[in-house]
Order: sequence, then structure tokens, then C-alpha cells
Amino acid sequence: MSWPVFFLIPIALTAFVTGQLFLKHAMESSAARGFRDSQVILFLVCGVFAMTIHFFVTLGLLGHLDLSYVYPFQGLSVIIISLAAAVVLKEKLTARLTIGTLLISAGIVLVSMS
Amino acid sequence: MTKDTRNKRMQNRPSGFANPWFQLGFGVVCVLVYELLQKRGASETANLSQVWSWTGITALVSPLVWLAMALMIISLLSWLYVLRYIPLSIAFPLSRVVDALIPLSCWLILGENISSRRWCGIALVVIGLTLTAKPVAQLEEKL
Repeated sequence: MSWPVFFLIPIALTAFVTGQLFLKHAMESSAARGFRDSQVILFLVCGVFAMTIHFFVTLGLLGHLDLSYVYPFQGLSVIIISLAAAVVLKEKLTARLTIGTLLISAGIVLVSMS
Repeated sequence: MTKDTRNKRMQNRPSGFANPWFQLGFGVVCVLVYELLQKRGASETANLSQVWSWTGITALVSPLVWLAMALMIISLLSWLYVLRYIPLSIAFPLSRVVDALIPLSCWLILGENISSRRWCGIALVVIGLTLTAKPVAQLEEKL
């Protein structure tokens, strides 16, 4: 694994998860405060910024690596986002939801690697 | 947000095109198309610059990448709308149905082969989606 890949895959993954959390938080807040609230706008901007970083880093990776190499890491994002939603956003993570999430992640890895 | 607030919002959710579940499906289709366009555009432009191609900026010369970005913006707006109504821990795993749809559409439309390992992966995704979607179906029944 060359050095750009070693750094860029975790950066892409972190940017994606962080972006999703910001966007969810912004949309939750927008229901009560509306879209003109400065905090809602700040969360939206942070979310879009993080997703933009993810987009360009992924493009850079895809230009050099096979989709089948890059994509299994997307499987990890399902687990990380579900855990982060439970911890940061206080969403309820049931046993059924956890098993479902783990199966989806394992499935994504198998689909991508074959 | 409390469970009561979330349930109340789900009860008052719009119907038709504005229904959050419909928007979740619509967003999945947009993602399906833009993933394919993104890969094609990135591959075509990877050799333009040895240094800058790792940043993804060189891919901007491809019209396919611009089309992918347009679809990405549409899917993002649709996703924001979904997030207003559906918990992230349910909506995100469900949105990954796209990972089963990409190989299946390649098999059905393009006639590509699917290995036994990939079939196992698709089966795992479908079982996982069923488990994740079950509480949603129960929630819908209550409402």
C-alpha cells in the first residue's frame, strides 16, 4: 500500500462520517429553528464541506485504484455511522438494528472484493 | 430530539413525491447512477497529472464527472430531506441497498457474471436490510 492510500482512505472515511453527522444534526435542528438560524446554517456548511472533502479524496483514490479495492471501506462507514448516531445523536440502537447493520457491512465487503 | 417529537413528525409526513421513504428510494437511484459515472470519469482522467490526479481535481475535465456531481447534489438534497424525518441509524443502512443494486443491475442489464462470493454478499446485504427495515414496518403499522 503506497503512502497516499494509507492516509487518504481514513481521511475519506472520517470526512464522510463527520459530514453525515453534521447534516443530520442540521436537519434535526432545522425542524425547530428553521433554516435561517445561524447554528443550522453552520452545521449545514460544515456537513457539505466534509462531504466535499470526501468526494474529491474518493475521486483521487478511484483514479488510481480499482473500485473493488476502494469500495469495501464504504462497508465500514455503515457500522461507524450507526455507532456514531447512537453515541452522538442519542439514537436508539436495538440488537436487531445492530445485527442488520453488521450483515449489511459484511455483505458490502464481500460484494466489493469478489 | 425526543421519541415523541420524532413520531409526531412521522405522523405528519408528506405523501406522494414528498414522502421521505419515496425520497430515500429516489436518492438511492441517483447514487447508483453517479457512482458509475464517477468511476468512469475518474479512470479516463487519471493519467493527466501524476501529482494532482490523487486530489481528484484532474477528473473535473470529464463531463461525466460533472454529470455525476449534478446527480450527487440532487441525491444530497433528497438525503437532507430524508434526514429530517428518519433516524440516521435506520436511513443510512437502508440507503446501502445500492450496494446490492449495482452488481444486480450489471448482471441484469449488462449481462456481467456474478461470482458465488458476490452472490453471498448480495444475500447478506438483503438479509441485513430486512432486519433493519422490520422496525420501520412496525412503526408504519402503528402510525
